[in-house]
Amino acid sequence: MAKRGWDEFEIGAMLRSFDGVSNDIATTLQEDRNYSQSNSFVASVADWRIAKPVFNKDFCIDCQFCWIYCPDMSIIARDKKMIGVDMDHCKGCGICVEVCPTNPKSLLMFPEQADEEAELSQWPAKDKETK
Amino acid sequence: MSEMKKIKNLKEFSTSADRFEGANLLCPGCAHSIIVREVLNATNDDLVLSASTGCLEVCTAVYPYTSWDASWIHIGFENGSTAVAGAEAMYKALKNKGRLKQPDRNPKFVSFAGDGASYDIGFQWISGCMERGHNIMHVVLDNEVYANTGGQRSSSTPIGSSATTAPAGRVSYGEKRNKKDMVSIMASHHIPYAAQVAPNKWKDMVKKIQHGFSVDGPVFINAVSPCTTEWKFDPKDTMMITDLATDSLVFPLYEIIDGHELNITYRPKNVVPVEEYLAAQGRFKHLFKDEYKYLIKEWQERVDANWAYLNRREEARV
Repeated sequence: MAKRGWDEFEIGAMLRSFDGVSNDIATTLQEDRNYSQSNSFVASVADWRIAKPVFNKDFCIDCQFCWIYCPDMSIIARDKKMIGVDMDHCKGCGICVEVCPTNPKSLLMFPEQADEEAELSQWPAKDKETK
Repeated sequence: MSEMKKIKNLKEFSTSADRFEGANLLCPGCAHSIIVREVLNATNDDLVLSASTGCLEVCTAVYPYTSWDASWIHIGFENGSTAVAGAEAMYKALKNKGRLKQPDRNPKFVSFAGDGASYDIGFQWISGCMERGHNIMHVVLDNEVYANTGGQRSSSTPIGSSATTAPAGRVSYGEKRNKKDMVSIMASHHIPYAAQVAPNKWKDMVKKIQHGFSVDGPVFINAVSPCTTEWKFDPKDTMMITDLATDSLVFPLYEIIDGHELNITYRPKNVVPVEEYLAAQGRFKHLFKDEYKYLIKEWQERVDANWAYLNRREEARV
């Protein structure tokens, strides 16, 4: 949506989240929704990140702690499985990494410019010190 | 009545389709959106929402974007609760007249507000809603400070906390007055349900929200929402701070049914000293100087006394 000047705003605005008729949003998954251009889903906060979470599915036990505690709806869970991170909406807070219970963690934070393939190939081994 | 959504475990819960969208402008690591998600995902029914002025409102409705996939309204600082109560009254009237297009849909009415908009500015409005018996739920996102405008004290700010209008320094240790016991005040309206929740205990929270949706009448929910900016901790530690808050009994989790039947819903296995909760946050940093150490002792005594009080109330059913 194009930027507007201060005097071009409507007084008392109404924004539509979806285009067309949309019933039963609570049971419609994000990929099936007809988002309008005024829904923040179409925007991105990826440029806020200085560190990004990298997901290693080899160690994931699908406990969904990251899904429930993610403040930005960025953990994508489908059919009770964690399938990845939504990098358009992730702000890089690192809560998912903190709450991950596996050993070694199946999510780790890396600098934004790090190469995902390279980091996955040198994932830390199991840490025996912690219980 | 529509069917209650069945949520047995976290895997089942994770099949929910979020009705709160990303790319809102809340700080990284903000607990507000965790609470909002847990409330919205607790039901599959239609929702009519409002937000009073505060972080949640300014960050999720930045023109030309909205982050809400349900009917949502914002009017002023004080009247989020009455806006939703008005919508509820209109819904009831139209239903009685048989003029609803889809009368079987059974929407839920929820108003969100920060502690400033609930404890101070919107207090009279919320009290009115509770007194009139609207079928609404009011959720307070209690971050104990006016975080949106730069960290001024609210009547939820606890003793010893450094806020911008009650700063800690050479002559003062920060906020000097105790926190208002809002859940008890609201329960004294003899509303069907009032509860205190925390986002880290998601199952307890979802259970309470679903109970709140199932009762007929006003419901008051107080949710602790750690603020990374004003409580001064690292964004990744949000859930750790919430764990400390519930396990140190600074935020005991309980519910009050019909204004008299108090149940404690979470008893920590290992109670953490309050000192650990205070030490994890930058806003209490000055309490660890020698001259203010006595305040930590007072904190512990106050938390213990409150816990004993809740236990006595649970036992006596008053």
